[in-house]
Amino acid sequence: MNRYVKTAYDGLITNNATFKLVLGTCATLAMSTSAVNSFGMGLSVTVVLLLSNVVISLLRKVIPNTVRIPAFIVIIATMVTLLRMVLEKYIPSLYDAMGVFLPLIVVNCVILGRAEAFASKQPVLDSAIDGLFTGLGLTFALTLIGVIREFLGSGSFFGIKVMDFSIGFFTNSAGAFFVYGICIALFVLATGQIEKRARAKRARALRRPPEGPLDPPEDGSAEKEVQ
Amino acid sequence: MTAKQFFKSTAFKSLAVLIVIVLAAGALLAVCNDLLYISEEERFARSIERIYGKPVQTEEIALTEEQSTYESGTVESVYFVPDDGNYLLQTTGNGGYDSGSVTLWTVLTCSGTREDGTLRLTGIDRVVYESNEKQSAISSLTSAYYEGFTQYDDLVAEGGLFTAEKNGSGDLNHLVAGATRSSVAACNAVNTALTCFRTVLTGGAA
Repeated sequence: MNRYVKTAYDGLITNNATFKLVLGTCATLAMSTSAVNSFGMGLSVTVVLLLSNVVISLLRKVIPNTVRIPAFIVIIATMVTLLRMVLEKYIPSLYDAMGVFLPLIVVNCVILGRAEAFASKQPVLDSAIDGLFTGLGLTFALTLIGVIREFLGSGSFFGIKVMDFSIGFFTNSAGAFFVYGICIALFVLATGQIEKRARAKRARALRRPPEGPLDPPEDGSAEKEVQ
Repeated sequence: MTAKQFFKSTAFKSLAVLIVIVLAAGALLAVCNDLLYISEEERFARSIERIYGKPVQTEEIALTEEQSTYESGTVESVYFVPDDGNYLLQTTGNGGYDSGSVTLWTVLTCSGTREDGTLRLTGIDRVVYESNEKQSAISSLTSAYYEGFTQYDDLVAEGGLFTAEKNGSGDLNHLVAGATRSSVAACNAVNTALTCFRTVLTGGAA
């Protein structure tokens, strides 16, 4: 597998920040009351993750090891502040909806985690791909939880009312934990099955005899070589 | 350690890199802050858009400090809306959680005109949330709660004020369980608007 594809696949599926690494849970639970908010939060984190990964990767040979964490925090905080300004100017509804969770992206462990584990050691393009796809994996997870909670809790889908029936439990914190847990279980089950099949396929491929004749040639040339 | 050794040390390099990063980040943010600045006019236009769903013409009414300050809160600004003849007040209610406050926009409906002294309060058209200070449970005050202020026009026209008391009774007792203090601040914001209208805009006639 191409290393860029592998990095992207890891960010989306294998190391999915929400469902596999269980990172950024606070924002996930708080912002997933509606699909639109979840999607907005996911995209915001993706932008910050992408930009901070690129900048940190660019500066990885300049930043001394002893001050790497404060340096990463300053870079991430700058990106988040920049994002706040842009959202307040151009998408004020999303800015208002995200409230206190927008500045709190600074301390989202997904971002610092990827900066420390990946961007500070890898080239810029690899880090950008990692940031983009880790963010998209998080966006997918957040949006999925948001869609389920909004549909069951408010009877709507991306703000459009689709049914009068609603269960209040899914709009509160307990409902958030419940949906989150179910989603993690299903995701782990699904990816586990996929990995199991892939392993079985690889094992079959290893057991299968290699293509082409293994028997000595009929003209007896092999025997002649031995003699 | 000599000065030369210090300037070659890891400690100095670490410090220098960190300072450069902080300065660069500060410069970038300063430039962006200037580029993405939101003026007061733009903020007000956004608030109007949120309240009415469309741009409307407004005429600001100037108040003195005495006319703006009440026991329940402060009147931030008052506007007359010529399109519908209503009054729009931005008020901050005191008494919230941790001595915080809630700021709301209140649209008051009325009859008569201010010029000929026949202005009378007839009810509340809408209440829209603007901002808060220290109210961690403000999200419990949903749009349905703010709509609740518009349901008792008769009582409001008769001079009633809203309360937010636990186990309180009466139609004007308006609180959300679990966010009592924020409810108090919200009620105080609306009451401040009502009091200002009754005492200042109508000249005490209402």
